[in-house]
Amino acid sequence: MSTVMRDTQDPTSTPAVKQNKTRTVAIGEARPQWWLYLTLGVGLVVMVTPFVWMALSSLKPEAEIRANPPTWWPQTFTLENFTELFTRLDFPQFFTNSAVVAVFVTLGNLVFCSMLGYAFAKIDFWGRAWLFRIVLGTMMIPGIVMLVPLFVLVSRLGLVDTYAGLILPFLAGPFGVFLMRQFISALPDELIDAGRIDGAGEFRIFAQIILPLCKPALATLGILTFLGSWNNFLWPLVVASSEDKYTLPVALALYSVGQNENNYGLMLAGAVAVVAPVVLVFLILQKHIIQGIATTGIK
Amino acid sequence: MATSTAARVPAPADSPGRGAAPVRRSTPLRRRRSIAAWGFAAPFVLLFLVFTAWPVISSLLMSVTDIKSRDLQNPFNVNFVGLDNFATVLADPLFWQAARNTGYFVVVGVPVVMFVSLMVALALNTGITRLSGFFRVGYFMPVVTSIVAVAVVWRFLLKDDNGIINVVLGWFGIDGPNWLGDPNWSMPAMILMAVWRSMGTLIVIFLAGLQGVPASLHEAAALDGANAVQRLRLITVPIMRPTLLFGAVLTGIGYLQLFEEPLVMTNGGGPLNSTLSVSLYIYRQFGFGNYGIASAMSYLLFLAIVLLTLLQFRLLTERDPRPRRKARQTTEREGSAR
Amino acid sequence: MRKPLRVTVATLAAATTLIALTSCGRSDDAPAEDMSAAPVAEGEATGTITVWAMGTEGEKLGEFADAFSAENPDATVEVTAIPWDAAHDKIATAIAADQTPDVSMVGTTWMGEFASTGALDPTPDTIDGTSFFPGAWGTTIVNDVAYGMPWYVETRVLYTNTAAAEAAGVSPSPATWDDLKTSTAAIQAAGADYGITLQAGQQGAWQTFMPFAWQAGAQILDDEGNITLDTPEVVDALTYYQSFFTDGVAPVDVPVGTLESSLIAGEFGAMVSGPWHIGILEEAGYADFTLSPLPAGEQLASFIGGSNLAVFKNAENRDGAWKFIEWLSQPDTQAAWYEATSDLPSVPEAWETGTLATDPQLAIFGTQLETAVAPPSIPNWEQIATVIDTELEKVTRSGLDPQEAATAIQQQAEAIGTGL
Repeated sequence: MSTVMRDTQDPTSTPAVKQNKTRTVAIGEARPQWWLYLTLGVGLVVMVTPFVWMALSSLKPEAEIRANPPTWWPQTFTLENFTELFTRLDFPQFFTNSAVVAVFVTLGNLVFCSMLGYAFAKIDFWGRAWLFRIVLGTMMIPGIVMLVPLFVLVSRLGLVDTYAGLILPFLAGPFGVFLMRQFISALPDELIDAGRIDGAGEFRIFAQIILPLCKPALATLGILTFLGSWNNFLWPLVVASSEDKYTLPVALALYSVGQNENNYGLMLAGAVAVVAPVVLVFLILQKHIIQGIATTGIK
Repeated sequence: MATSTAARVPAPADSPGRGAAPVRRSTPLRRRRSIAAWGFAAPFVLLFLVFTAWPVISSLLMSVTDIKSRDLQNPFNVNFVGLDNFATVLADPLFWQAARNTGYFVVVGVPVVMFVSLMVALALNTGITRLSGFFRVGYFMPVVTSIVAVAVVWRFLLKDDNGIINVVLGWFGIDGPNWLGDPNWSMPAMILMAVWRSMGTLIVIFLAGLQGVPASLHEAAALDGANAVQRLRLITVPIMRPTLLFGAVLTGIGYLQLFEEPLVMTNGGGPLNSTLSVSLYIYRQFGFGNYGIASAMSYLLFLAIVLLTLLQFRLLTERDPRPRRKARQTTEREGSAR
Repeated sequence: MRKPLRVTVATLAAATTLIALTSCGRSDDAPAEDMSAAPVAEGEATGTITVWAMGTEGEKLGEFADAFSAENPDATVEVTAIPWDAAHDKIATAIAADQTPDVSMVGTTWMGEFASTGALDPTPDTIDGTSFFPGAWGTTIVNDVAYGMPWYVETRVLYTNTAAAEAAGVSPSPATWDDLKTSTAAIQAAGADYGITLQAGQQGAWQTFMPFAWQAGAQILDDEGNITLDTPEVVDALTYYQSFFTDGVAPVDVPVGTLESSLIAGEFGAMVSGPWHIGILEEAGYADFTLSPLPAGEQLASFIGGSNLAVFKNAENRDGAWKFIEWLSQPDTQAAWYEATSDLPSVPEAWETGTLATDPQLAIFGTQLETAVAPPSIPNWEQIATVIDTELEKVTRSGLDPQEAATAIQQQAEAIGTGL
């Protein structure tokens, strides 16, 4: 088995990686999986194709985007869409707004949701069942019905056109609680018991034992929350009453979508501009998802 | 260790979340623990009460009034109408069509996306060693890509005559349907697109969950001669159950609120309303300013989501007493041993 | 800021109703009670005027308004650009929370809804309704009261591929329903995939269909304000519209995004669209198309769209706002605004100078605007329009009988009501 494995191995790969590989193969299928690579590869092409088209088309002039039949490779390369985007929009400002909001929202969710998620998963406390049901329940209410009451509330609190108004309503989401609860409840109770034996308080157990084991879940929550906040459109639009507080998606929608006609070139360039930072964040965080707890956990 | 654990963890969680402390000796400890737990909960609960609970209550109240956008500045025009809105909605044939469409989408879409995502996650976690990061990023790509841009591409892919999907189908001698133009095929097209778009999220979640499956267990089972399928069924799935449940519930909630795909792909629910979803219909009513009706519809949808979630909890936890019961039994045994 | 909470409060328990009652007097201004608009103060505008505007208008208006500030040195105009995508939701929530600016651009078909919230200020005498295209001015009138000012307009005309028409030996400018039918069929026979594209249904299809109904002499509301969508005229229009699909002259599926290239390639002989398509076609390097007013049925008609500017009742700078709007309605300003944005002026007088007077293609729009019709500004119009979209699709796609469709539209529209 390892012979064939080696065939597909990159000769430059480090010994550490090799070791890792052998181990994974040992616990996985017993054969080298060229067919797995093939299937996943075909899947990958399917998954990525629209994205590649989007990126390539953002480099085409408007007329070529609208051409029928559509072209894959740009016949005329142009940065026109991007230069137009960046000159028409105060890009740094909108980027900063989006980043500030997304970072705070993500941090808030990581802290608050993991705390409550831990309590739900591992502490038997008064009110646990109904609190969990309520939190989970609100996740199921279509967001649009809350728009008007929430905006009225936020404007009463004087938070219209402030960062607080953009951030606070999303700082603690039920999604994160649910994710963390499910993940933590899969961790063995023995870990916590051991901590209690050692006389650690609940908070120390949480901070020193549970949180380090939660890296994959925290990374997942981080990515998904960041993404949700980054792409959020309706709320920032409603709360920001001046352009200074617009986030990137709101700003990008300004000139690409008209009353009757869309500007596809700007739209696609804008889409690429929004996606790029998220891909970066994902690339950074996805490593943490695979950081196994299998070995750090009890054996 | 066993004895001291038992001393420190008296009467472990027999029925979670019960207020009355079942075991006498535990009361002070349990109270202390409750205080600690509420300490953990406090920041979240505070934000939650203000920014979620209050708007929810307001919108719930809206659903029993005849409020429309024109009443927004004249609140005294609003009348309490009891359950009239719900009756109106339930008598609306278009609502039922939207409900059927949404049901179709969920019943087919959720199992498909769960299965495919789990398979990909397993493959990425165990079967693939080279390029796995590359694959992960690739599969996550649709999640981060803007729906508007994606719609443009998908319309080309799904075109009747020279769309790529039908061209590929043509290689196998299949005459592909007019995906977006045929009322019978528009919903499958939505499902295809939604699966494509939501797989990345599930894969990431499943990958995180798979980290909780100890490699040692797999190694031991492999030594005992268990094949891959057996190990998946007997080791991976039971340990992954909370994660799978999370994925299923999350997907169910998301899919029942199908909205963006038909909004951008089929011009808001066409052809012949075959892709009109409940959420889209709610959004439409909201746009018309019929807030009372829109709220009532939202809570009907909410009810459907709750039912689906309960069903999923039942399906995915009931047959699963193994890990938890085992833990409990262990402690109980320890307790009695004391 | 207070009111919408009052909405919830008012529906809440008695205890909290007290809070609402303390301030309820001021909100009792139902539109009917202030039909007469308060006068606007004389003299130059002063202070800050906050304006919301969508898309390109939002982008260009700030700079454009410098000329206004030059005439009124004590006034500044602060423009916030808003994406079209969710502008409706933003205005609706702003009204709910009393967070409105002084002035906002409002889509013509939203006027009924927003005016009936009581949030819009009736138009004062300083704005002369007779100076606008009648169809455009009509969009500002809700329940016999005018709100705001028609800022710019658009209307739909017929775009024909000139070469395809020539190849088929027909005129690219059909004058009557019969002409349109024969010429599009001839273009198709001469080699085009389809003679014409007409929106078969789904969102906004009514904008393509209603011109035919108006051409047949149909009216959405009769003089008493009753909905009349099952009249013989509507049935005639539905029958005529349907014939394009049953004869296979028009495709049921119109490709989104590639319409232009298909027209250029001669795959379609003609299409019905608004002024924005001139630019798109020219950018695609194509000049060989002919514009003509929509053909006449019993009479000439088209759809008039565009946007209005409205002042909110709670405007902090009401006088300034109306002065700014009045300035924007001046023929000179309107002509200059066209130069800046290509938005067609709502004031006929503005069409008498510059490019607007000389460009033959624009002249077609100018002609068409004289007979263009707007749907009545009733609060529930958008909802009724959706019914038309849905039933129209059944007519074109599944061959529903036009009479049955008209009856179905009428029934549902009556159930919805005008909302007045």
